[in-house]
Amino acid sequence: MRTLEVVPLTRVEGDGGITVTLDEKKVKSVTLDIHEGPRLIEQMVVGMTPEDNLNVVPRICAICTLSHKYASLRGLEKAVGIDPPEKAQVMRDLMMLGENVESNSLHTFLLALPDFLGYPSAVAMLSDYGDDVKRALRLKKFGNHVMQVTSGRIVHGENPGLGGFGKYPTKKQLSEIALRSKELIPDAVRAVELFGSLEYPEYPEAETTFMSVNAPAKKFGLAGDSILISNGKETDADDYKKLTSERVVPHSFAKRSQYRDKTFAVGANARMINMGKRLDGQAGDFFKEHYSDRWLKNPLLNNLAQAIEMLWALEQMPETTELVASMKDPKRAEPTRLTGSGTGAVEAPRGTLYHHYDIKDGLVETADIITPTAQNLDDIEMHMRLCAERMLADDKKDAEVLLALEMVARAYDPCISCATHLVTLKRF
Amino acid sequence: MHKLRHTPGDPEEVLTEAVETVVGEGPVYVLGLGYVDKADDGAGVLVANTLKKTFPDYSFSEHDGVEGTVLDISERSGPGTVLFVDAGDLKAPPGTIEIVARDQIRETEISTHRVPVALMAAILEGSGKKVAIVAIQPKCLEFRAEISEEMGRSVAAVVVVLSRLMRKRN
Repeated sequence: MRTLEVVPLTRVEGDGGITVTLDEKKVKSVTLDIHEGPRLIEQMVVGMTPEDNLNVVPRICAICTLSHKYASLRGLEKAVGIDPPEKAQVMRDLMMLGENVESNSLHTFLLALPDFLGYPSAVAMLSDYGDDVKRALRLKKFGNHVMQVTSGRIVHGENPGLGGFGKYPTKKQLSEIALRSKELIPDAVRAVELFGSLEYPEYPEAETTFMSVNAPAKKFGLAGDSILISNGKETDADDYKKLTSERVVPHSFAKRSQYRDKTFAVGANARMINMGKRLDGQAGDFFKEHYSDRWLKNPLLNNLAQAIEMLWALEQMPETTELVASMKDPKRAEPTRLTGSGTGAVEAPRGTLYHHYDIKDGLVETADIITPTAQNLDDIEMHMRLCAERMLADDKKDAEVLLALEMVARAYDPCISCATHLVTLKRF
Repeated sequence: MHKLRHTPGDPEEVLTEAVETVVGEGPVYVLGLGYVDKADDGAGVLVANTLKKTFPDYSFSEHDGVEGTVLDISERSGPGTVLFVDAGDLKAPPGTIEIVARDQIRETEISTHRVPVALMAAILEGSGKKVAIVAIQPKCLEFRAEISEEMGRSVAAVVVVLSRLMRKRN
């Protein structure tokens, strides 16, 4: 018996590793080990007001900060009967577009691309692909700017609140975002062309199930009240527990999810599979050009999906900012009840994020947060195992196998910090 | 590398001398890194925000967006020096200041939160800028705790020295 290890797994957020246990050439197990310590956020917010909860929960992560804010808002507003004004809804769409560009640009160009081009890191890539590294930084800077304008700060902004926003951007700020988003479209097109031209190895391929929100009005989007499943079914977001049966495993501080006792995936790939036909503009054209049945099997294609999605986000900004600018600043909507329950489902860059709250007499009674990475962990391990088995059967060297496994894990853009927000403690 | 806390002589003079060894031609830019909610971890941001009041076009903090700032500075023509100021574990007594030259910056991996200093340094060098790190040993990294006395004194010394230097150069 011997083991192959990747410790730590780099170019992901948080502290994790990969362990492959082998008996001769037979793979006994492949695990994505989560070393990041527990965070206990769901217990911490019990007894807080919805406003305080809203300030605390986005601290789960500094990269998905606005997704946590928005999922929390959607859950809390349903629970206490708040119907936010239309302008607030559109502003929330805009802040999510900013986060998507910020996160997808970093992941595609700087975290995933070096593996495909044969470089150990983006630093090493700089001499040959300096323009692409700068593209990533330009796009990330712009995504950060949109997040700052809409939420108040680059990270953990407090401008979005229950029932609306503290302050809305000026028309000048909005028109600058519109102009810059158009200027950056060639950078996103370059990302799509790069990832569209790469060779994606077949080793990790296997059919799986994909889930994403169903954005309203038959459009591609990052929030919705129901969940689309790639098997054709649709479930109300309030019934999220039927989709995400959770369990714990010894090698991980993060919980795992399965759907009908099988693994499933969330993320840009899932969004493309479930809503890609709704895309228009250049993003729609690229989707039609690149989409194939392999997207249903190969997790590495999540990188290409993120690139197309980043282009879509930039293409959405002119219309979204124009809509925000055309509306008067509304007052914040107020709660209509002190007791109730609600689930918010949004699409963080790395997949569907659920926040569920039970509010009693104006205070949080229970909170349940299910992150995309926690949903993806079993699927990552399934694809990594197949990849290892097939590569070892083909007499590939250990180093090649380990690199391939890292590429599979990284393709999901995992956020280990998010996934370890809760651990169940058993006392004996 | 210069460990300044235990060097004989006036600390500000010693620090000035050490910084001048890594500074090249042109203006001096300061980029303060860190997290102000974690006591001494916010040292770089404190230095940058203080200097920003006098040098708004040359001093930037984590809150301005690190990667975007690096890109902006790299697009400014002509030579210059970018000093990253950050709390760092130097395995030294609290408040110890080290000037780390470019060739000693080895961190290369990227997380989803921030591009590494080594990559930012490479981009800046590609545009003709020199790069160094001003690192300060923290004492306390507790969430919402006060900055330690040792760190406070070192932050003040760094501000004084960089302020004089930037007044001369910028």
